[in-house]
Amino acid sequence: MEASRLPGFLARRVVKSVLVVLAIVVCNFLLVHAAPGDPASVMAGQSGAADPLFLEQLRRQFGLDQPFHIQLWVYLKSVLSLDLGFSHRQQAPVAQLIAERLPATLLLTGAAFIFAVGGGVALGALAARRVGSWADSAITALALTFYATPLFWVGLMLVLVFSVWLEWLPSFGMSSVGVELHGMAVVWDVAQHLLLPALTLGLFYLAVYARLTRATMLEVADQDFVKTARAKGVPEGRITRAHILRNALLPVITFAGIQAGQLVGGSILVETVFAWPGIGRLAFEALLARDYPVLLGVFFCTSVIVVLFNLATDLLYAVIDPRVEVG
Amino acid sequence: MTVRRRGLMGGALLGAGAASNFLRAGDALAQGVQPRRGGTLQSILTPEPPILQIGVNNQGPTLIVAPKMFEGLLTFTPTLEPIPVLATSWTISPDNKEFVFKLRENVTWHDGRPFTAEDVIFSVMKFHMEVAPRARAIFSLIETAEAPDPHTVRFVLKQSFQPFLLMFDATACAMVAKHLFDGQDYRTAPAVQRPVGTGPFRFAEWQRGNFIRLERNPTYWQEGKPYLDNIIYRIVPDSQSRRLALESGQVQLTSASDIEPFDVPAMRSRPNLEVSTQGWEYFSPLSWVELNHRVAPLGDARVRQAMSLAIDRNFIAQRLWFGIGKPATNPVASTTRFFDRSVALPAHNIREANALLDAAGHRPNAQGVRFTLKHLVLPYGEVWSRLAEYLRQSLRQVGIALELESTDAGSWARRIGNWEYETSVNFVYQFGDPTLGVERTYVSSNIQKVTFTNTGGYSNPEVDELFAQARTASTAAERQTAFTAVQRILVRDVPQIWLMEMAFPTISDKRLRNVITTGLGVHTNFADVFLAS
Amino acid sequence: MRDFWRRYRRNKGAVVGLALLLLVFALAAAAPLLFPGSPWDMAGAPFLPPGEMGMLLGTDSLGRDVAAGIAHGARISLMVGAVSTIFALGVGVSLGAIAGYLGGFADDLVMRFTEFFQTIPSFVLAILLVAIFTPSITSVIAAIAIVSWPPVARVVRAEFLSLRGREFVQAAEVLGKSRLSIVVGDILPNALSPIIVLASLMVASAILLESALSFLGLGDPNLMTWGFLIGSGRSVIRLAWWMSVFPGLAIFVTVLSLNLVGEGLSDALNPRLARQRGGAA
Repeated sequence: MEASRLPGFLARRVVKSVLVVLAIVVCNFLLVHAAPGDPASVMAGQSGAADPLFLEQLRRQFGLDQPFHIQLWVYLKSVLSLDLGFSHRQQAPVAQLIAERLPATLLLTGAAFIFAVGGGVALGALAARRVGSWADSAITALALTFYATPLFWVGLMLVLVFSVWLEWLPSFGMSSVGVELHGMAVVWDVAQHLLLPALTLGLFYLAVYARLTRATMLEVADQDFVKTARAKGVPEGRITRAHILRNALLPVITFAGIQAGQLVGGSILVETVFAWPGIGRLAFEALLARDYPVLLGVFFCTSVIVVLFNLATDLLYAVIDPRVEVG
Repeated sequence: MTVRRRGLMGGALLGAGAASNFLRAGDALAQGVQPRRGGTLQSILTPEPPILQIGVNNQGPTLIVAPKMFEGLLTFTPTLEPIPVLATSWTISPDNKEFVFKLRENVTWHDGRPFTAEDVIFSVMKFHMEVAPRARAIFSLIETAEAPDPHTVRFVLKQSFQPFLLMFDATACAMVAKHLFDGQDYRTAPAVQRPVGTGPFRFAEWQRGNFIRLERNPTYWQEGKPYLDNIIYRIVPDSQSRRLALESGQVQLTSASDIEPFDVPAMRSRPNLEVSTQGWEYFSPLSWVELNHRVAPLGDARVRQAMSLAIDRNFIAQRLWFGIGKPATNPVASTTRFFDRSVALPAHNIREANALLDAAGHRPNAQGVRFTLKHLVLPYGEVWSRLAEYLRQSLRQVGIALELESTDAGSWARRIGNWEYETSVNFVYQFGDPTLGVERTYVSSNIQKVTFTNTGGYSNPEVDELFAQARTASTAAERQTAFTAVQRILVRDVPQIWLMEMAFPTISDKRLRNVITTGLGVHTNFADVFLAS
Repeated sequence: MRDFWRRYRRNKGAVVGLALLLLVFALAAAAPLLFPGSPWDMAGAPFLPPGEMGMLLGTDSLGRDVAAGIAHGARISLMVGAVSTIFALGVGVSLGAIAGYLGGFADDLVMRFTEFFQTIPSFVLAILLVAIFTPSITSVIAAIAIVSWPPVARVVRAEFLSLRGREFVQAAEVLGKSRLSIVVGDILPNALSPIIVLASLMVASAILLESALSFLGLGDPNLMTWGFLIGSGRSVIRLAWWMSVFPGLAIFVTVLSLNLVGEGLSDALNPRLARQRGGAA
């Protein structure tokens, strides 16, 4: 692409992304407030005893006595100033709660993503290179297997094998608590805890990417420019790298953008199975406790991440494919 | 584990001498093992509490962690006799209206300020009065509260109230520092985030979603205690991960609902673990099928009796809870004061249940269904879902179709509170005395649109009268008479279908000593707990 | 039709998939005969391992027959998969057709709407919807349908965009046919192939989604589903592995067979792309 067109493209994408984020904020707010039950009655129930005075105090605290549109306006205004509100249940600012949990989720989803894309593209490419070979069949079968297996089930089986039977890896948490670790020992400790959850979350998407890469590579391989290159006597390995793989990556990138949101969803399951202290679990716990500010904050945060990720994939797409019409 | 009461008499005469006797009794439990200083106790907490400031939050997990940092004036033995903590002795007037506490001297808050009578009066009259509904209901009986000297507090009640002392455990009325709260919004004061108490452990750090760490308080008022350097509570939301952590020795203590009932038999068989169901005598949770009397035909006592007869409580206790806890016999738990063992529900009997339903005019249709009821499943975890499934199958046997509705904790509390349910399951703490923990479910003056009141809508003037008598009677004998009579009526009317006297397994590594020494079990301060080498 | 079957047969995996799928259907159909009575009945002692006391696949914590649960669960899982897919197709096809046929502003609007739905983490949205409208078969199906339609809309729009300019459509327009009858009568039949392929994959992912919801305790408490069985067996997996292993296998076999059938359909309906295996929805 011409360098001069990039800023305009970027600006349009950013404006669009902001609009999408705003729409998500409004939509989530409406959705969550459609829920029966209010946080006051939840807290009252959990504290074991309650009287009307107590409930009234809580409702006032939550702003639940305000008219609906005012609650929405207040929320929008504060989100725009990056204030995500205050969780009365957790007695802490939502932004702080999310900030505390976000690194764990980013680490988990990031590791799973790299594993899935790297492994998936490699396996898919390998399968496409040797269509019909036993390696192709094996990779196709493996991809189909993971594609058809429930995510949480994979997690349970991995725990059963690697933590319970073999006792190689820890089965939960993000780090060993109670042991003093420094430097590389900390990294090693976290890596050990990370392996199973990242594998669980990544395997499904690895299957997806392997299938996708294989399919698009085969499609591209049929196209004229590849045939031409081959007729010109370009070595097969170079054809694969320079022509087929590069073009086959485009749908993979598009898909990765779409998949970012799914990965966050999958992390709820994985974080629950492995007790991973991330925002996926925070969201689920908040949902069960009807902690509106936290829920809204988590949805805002995940949608921003997804939108940013989509923006990044758009750019990457433009960089990889010189023919792409940006805008 | 059992606790021997030596030299413990009724609260009225108890003094400091008896107290140290009890503490020695605690040490003796270690069976000759010399308490060892040092070590870190790793435990588990489920679910993660939002805040640790007891009073502001009174959920189960907070009640476990907070008493390590906060103390009450008293705590209680398994038979609910008071044990001195921050009060060294107390006197009670014969009419149970005047309560005078002598406070322990040389006690300091974690920030170094001294603990005085001012703190006690602030905690009772202001802090808990505002933030804790249960405390408010009782403490509003106080007419005057005064401090004749910095280490004496005197409460005069508007009426006789025998169970007053039971309100002074740390879980009911923890002492908080006046200088940290007075003049502020108690729920948002900075101290809420960094709890400051008088207890043997201080707040150290809290990585949300991960762990809470408490550290030894070096200036604790009991010389040489606590024994442990740290207590770490790990947050592990998955029950199988919790079990693994316990088995692998990563944690040395689990309590409450950490370990699922079906995992307990396996834990019992492990040589390095000790399983106890003691230490819940003060709370004595009782579970029941919650019935909304406004929904036909639940207002009919014969229908309720039939439903009660159709349920096999032994099956529930053995198959669902794997022998943890026992079948309920009566609205008062057997570990609560004034329980009368001569008053008991009739045993499981399908034939009689069918006969009662026939007599009440509910004929089965072609599918064998007499009537259909909705059942709001208690959203507290798996075993409660299994219970709902069991109830559905067993009531179906007498022709009652139960349609399950699942919900989250928030909606459950709201719908029970708003009377928007037909049947559900509930369990409620009894707090040692029927006046504190039983009365609220059955008296018509407490029919409120609030959870944990008389949400079922049962109303019986006789019952109201008897509970009122027991509440204000000044002698235990008078109260027993009233409570026995009320138990008789309630067992006949079955306003709620009592299921189980709940218990929760406390599972500990055998090297961990003195875990359960009182009627509050893991909800005590752990000053005596140590890890033997 | 014979041509179709010939091409389908060429994909051996698809044939195996079809056989497995028919087996699952047979199991679902025969459930009331094989296991009369309610799958919730406490039929034996709790935690019986497979094979003991006539319990083919063992019993669960209340003594309920796991095999009966799987057989009856097949009905519900297939039903949830099918019904939610039908609803998702309804929404997706309508929106995709509007966008693809009308183009312009309508297209823009629909595509922004679709994009918006694709941006929200779909599983999170499904959880939220089920929790808000309380877990029941209706809310589960609705939630699955709501998060599944966007790919349909995209595929249908693409098909309509390419078919819109074809001669047969122009001919129909010249003849003065109404827009609705052109869309339904002329374009849609020609766009069916990718929709059918997509639908088979959607049923598969709907079954996975349902099981994940039940795993988190968001299933209908009155219905025996595979997701429920795994959910209830999960915490006792070390005490009674059979409780979660067999329902897990049932899900795996069904989802796998649907994927294989989807590939076979894709091969048979679209010979040009016979080698394409990128079925990810």
